Amino acid sequence: MTEIRLANVTKTYAGGQTAVDAVDLTIHDGEFFVLLGPSGCGKSTTLRMIAGLEPISSGDLFIGERRMNEVDPKDRDLAFVFQNYALFPHLTVKGNLTFGMKLRGVPGPEQERRLAEVTVMLGLAPYLDRKPGQLSGGQRQRVALGRALLRDPVAFLLDEPLSNLDAKLRAQMRTELVKLHRRVGRTIIHVTHDQIEAMTMADRICIMHDGKVAQVGAPMEVYRNPADTFVATFTGSPPMNLVQGRLENGAVHFAEATLPLDARTGAGEVTVGFRPEDLSLAALPNRLPIQASVVAVETLGADAILVASLAGGQEIGMRVAADTQLEPGSPVSVHLDPNRLRLFDRQTGKAIARMA
Amino acid sequence: MICVGAATFAAAAPTLRAGPPAVDGQPSPQPEDKLFMTAAIAQRDRWFGFAMTLPGLFALVLVVLFPILFTLWTSTSDFTLLKPSNDAFVGLSHYTQAFATPEFRHALSVTLAFVVAVVILEFLVGFAVALALDKVEHGKAVYYLILLFPLLMNPIVVGLIWKMFLHPTLGIVNYVLSLVGIPPVDWLGVPDNAFWTVVAVDIWHQVSFMIVLLLAGLASLPKEPYEAARLEGAGTIRCFFWITLPLMRPVIVVTLLIRLIFAVKTYDIIYIMTRGGPGQATELVSYYIYRRAFVGLDVSQASAMAVILLLAVLALTAWLHRYMRSLAQ
Amino acid sequence: MKKFLLASSMLIASAFGAEAQTINILMESVPDTRYVQEMLPEFKEKTGIDVQLEVVNYAEMHTKLVPQLVAPEGSYDVVIVDFYWVGEFTKAGWLQPLDERIKADNFPVDNYIPSIMELTGRVDGTTLMLPFYNYAMGLTYRKDLLEDLKHQEAFKAKYGRELKVPTEWPEYLDQVKYFSEDAGIEGFKGVVNQGQRPDPISMEWSNYLFANGGRYYDPETWQPTLATPEGIAALTQYRDNIQKYGPIGAANFSFDDAFNVAAQGKAYSYLTFNMFRPVYDDPASSQVVGKMEIAPVPGGGLNGSWGWAIPKSSPDPDAAWEFIKFIESPEIAKKRALLGGAATQKQIYEDPELIEKYSYYPQLGELLAYAQNFPVFTYTPAFVDVLGRELSLAVTDGKDPKEALEQVDKEFAELLRKDGKLQ
Ligand SMILES: Nc1ncnc2c1ncn2[C@@H]1O[C@H](COP(=O)(O)OP(=O)(O)OP(=O)(O)O)[C@@H](O)[C@H]1O
Ligand SMILES: [Mg+2]
Repeated sequence: MTEIRLANVTKTYAGGQTAVDAVDLTIHDGEFFVLLGPSGCGKSTTLRMIAGLEPISSGDLFIGERRMNEVDPKDRDLAFVFQNYALFPHLTVKGNLTFGMKLRGVPGPEQERRLAEVTVMLGLAPYLDRKPGQLSGGQRQRVALGRALLRDPVAFLLDEPLSNLDAKLRAQMRTELVKLHRRVGRTIIHVTHDQIEAMTMADRICIMHDGKVAQVGAPMEVYRNPADTFVATFTGSPPMNLVQGRLENGAVHFAEATLPLDARTGAGEVTVGFRPEDLSLAALPNRLPIQASVVAVETLGADAILVASLAGGQEIGMRVAADTQLEPGSPVSVHLDPNRLRLFDRQTGKAIARMA
Repeated sequence: MICVGAATFAAAAPTLRAGPPAVDGQPSPQPEDKLFMTAAIAQRDRWFGFAMTLPGLFALVLVVLFPILFTLWTSTSDFTLLKPSNDAFVGLSHYTQAFATPEFRHALSVTLAFVVAVVILEFLVGFAVALALDKVEHGKAVYYLILLFPLLMNPIVVGLIWKMFLHPTLGIVNYVLSLVGIPPVDWLGVPDNAFWTVVAVDIWHQVSFMIVLLLAGLASLPKEPYEAARLEGAGTIRCFFWITLPLMRPVIVVTLLIRLIFAVKTYDIIYIMTRGGPGQATELVSYYIYRRAFVGLDVSQASAMAVILLLAVLALTAWLHRYMRSLAQ
Repeated sequence: MKKFLLASSMLIASAFGAEAQTINILMESVPDTRYVQEMLPEFKEKTGIDVQLEVVNYAEMHTKLVPQLVAPEGSYDVVIVDFYWVGEFTKAGWLQPLDERIKADNFPVDNYIPSIMELTGRVDGTTLMLPFYNYAMGLTYRKDLLEDLKHQEAFKAKYGRELKVPTEWPEYLDQVKYFSEDAGIEGFKGVVNQGQRPDPISMEWSNYLFANGGRYYDPETWQPTLATPEGIAALTQYRDNIQKYGPIGAANFSFDDAFNVAAQGKAYSYLTFNMFRPVYDDPASSQVVGKMEIAPVPGGGLNGSWGWAIPKSSPDPDAAWEFIKFIESPEIAKKRALLGGAATQKQIYEDPELIEKYSYYPQLGELLAYAQNFPVFTYTPAFVDVLGRELSLAVTDGKDPKEALEQVDKEFAELLRKDGKLQ
């Protein structure tokens, strides 16, 4: 019933810059929804429009059944973590955290109880009496997060709430957020440009590109079936390999390899996509062998990435065991799982068909 | 072995430097030596820094302190325009004389009332206007220009214009009032009216100062805390009291202080509009001290009064500053 | 090179020396200064001396003058001295005596009206200044209303005397009352006063004091004599005229505020400086052209004047004297009067050509002959400050006239004692 729905929402800034372009989105009640995209793609703008901090240029925003375009932010009952924290510079950490509770007249003891809970969760206890100017970036970010978590809103809107934390703290916070989400069951819209964050936390991910929605779906769905080459390269690390190919006579030809397809698909120039883990050095059954030559092996620790060059000079990456030893320049035969292969239109970049 | 070495060191130490005496044959430990050296460097740096500030300090003393010291000196001697020299020392008699002068005490109390009235009213009006203007999106430059206009006017001109406007029978103000059936008001001919008229004219003249400073302050406030507060559910009034006011505090303090100090020095408007009258209703202390020196020819007495005024303003400034700081806690 | 510099600088110096002798004078921006300015070409022609006038407002004059007077050599060759400053300037010894120069050139000092010569001329038997222009006060009144038969009858019926140019003070007070209360002219008042501190009120009230037969001090002993029945009556009348019979606001009127009310035809009378008389006939600033006339204040009005003097710090006293001698010669004095100047010499007011031009000149001459002087001593300005304050308190703040005048006497006496006048 507190579904958040954007219908054809567009934001054009005063300078004529269109930051969000005709976005349609439905965020279900209680969902952990992640907005993922590169810097400047319009994630913050989208979130701020939902919160009411930016007027919507055209289109409609609904929360539940109610159209919210003109509703004042204070009447939307949303908690927000700002990308730049937006702490109250004149208040201590404690003052910042309790600002909203005081405003809403939460009784003193209750305030203290909830404050203690959040302080412990975010590790803020030592800093309660400091002003924001005396905190590090990560500490400020935790205060900003804490301020939101002390609310019981219709939804939490988090704009890159973990961007400034160190890797360890970030991982810890991810878990905390997911736990919190499970416990309170409120809708969370979480903005990030970190795909790991998106993959690990989201119920569904929306990938934005240039102000438009590129794809919405469950993490694995988006990972496996990217809707276009942008999503394909923006997800996964290293990203999906894209090589040029041709669709002809019911088969796709690329890098001197040929893979027969369903007759349904047409003919023309295509981009062929496959993820690094869909290749193997070993010739497993039903795999398509492709000839390549070794460029380099980059060790990651748990495993390594083999960079190889295909006939025609296109480079691909492939996940291999950490102890793989290969001489640069030596020929190598790699084996592709044909079921995982994806085709995109060379012109539009859109996915063409799902393979059988 | 170690003890022997230490003893030699201790014996040698006093000739090297006047360090702390070694206790029980133990030499002062090594780190203290380093400390001594860094302290010496710090000392040298301090002297260097001090030397670098000397020219500036000298200029400051010359420009700021000298006239004040001269005033102090004059106030303890017997300098009149007829005998312009500072050679006779009379102690603090001019100070006791000042407090024994009913007119001076009266002028001080009128000035206090005037300063409190104009500073508070100008602040309230100025803040309200600044808040309203802060929301204006188009034509801000035009507003600024119009607002700056009175401020750019010479106070003498302001006084003359308003004296003309407020002329009880020939002025435009009473004429306009008569159009809506209000009988003519004697703006300057009745003591109480005159005081408030002068206050009002000063507000007209100086309120822009407050507006412009406060507006600059408001414009420089970060936007984000407001967004955060609105999302927390704060309305306009809460935002004002919980965010704007505390964030503006430094600007407010400075604005109030500057305005307060200038208000104490108000002189021209009085000179043009009322000459301290009717009766003694607008007898501001700056104008009184001026007359004491140049009409009464009694420069030393006037200096003593000026020093008293200076001390009063200093005390007021310090108090306001501390009060405002205590509000912050 | 050095020689060249020396030669050229000598050249410049000699060029200046030969070419122009210049004297500097600080003047107030008033009409009489303009008339002086117009005489300068003639002076230059006669003597070859250039005159530089530095014209400033009254408020700036004293502050500009004093430093130049104190210096061993100042920048002004000639100064003009308000009667206000005479006490201070002479006490400080800043002015050069003129008697020897007068005698040497046989300058006709007896032309001056005696009361004016006493005010800004001779001090304790020494001539330190020559009077420049006068600003004695007179009674300006509505001639047309005075001659109106309707008002003449009504006034006589009510007050039992003729309505005519007042020669007695009570007569004038009755007229004030009549035109405020009985004449039946809408929004019209019997008098407009200039009640602002300190000069306007002090100057104006002096007329009331003299009219009641009061004096500022006993000329024998310098003992102040304001808190006397005459003084108290004068202050009570003055207060009533402002509060009961005058327009609102008069308690803070300066010269021009009050003059404008009279010139707009809103009051029957105004006691003011005689130099304002011609302005009533200037249509640009008056609605009562041809309707106002001036008369001596019954009992003798207040005198006022400026004098020419040569300061001791004068760089060129001889040229300065040349100038004073020229500008105050009977011929030039008449020329200035013809332009509108407020003359200080008797014969001007008897000159047929001038009477032809200014019909009120005989009255003016009489007015000046009987004008009375304000106390002149070192602390005259300080005294005016005290007087203005107490008068204003009595008029606007309910202070009892007797108490107010006692306070004036007290502070007046202190100032006189400080000046060594009063023992
Ligand atoms: N106030 C503004 N006026 C004009 N353009 C703006 C404004 N705010 C943002 N933009 C532009 O709108 C586009 C989208 O900005 P937005 O802040 O939504 O990006 P984002 O996806 O949040 O990026 P990031 O990951 O860097 O935070 C950008 O190109 C930005 O330059
Ligand atoms: Mg952003």
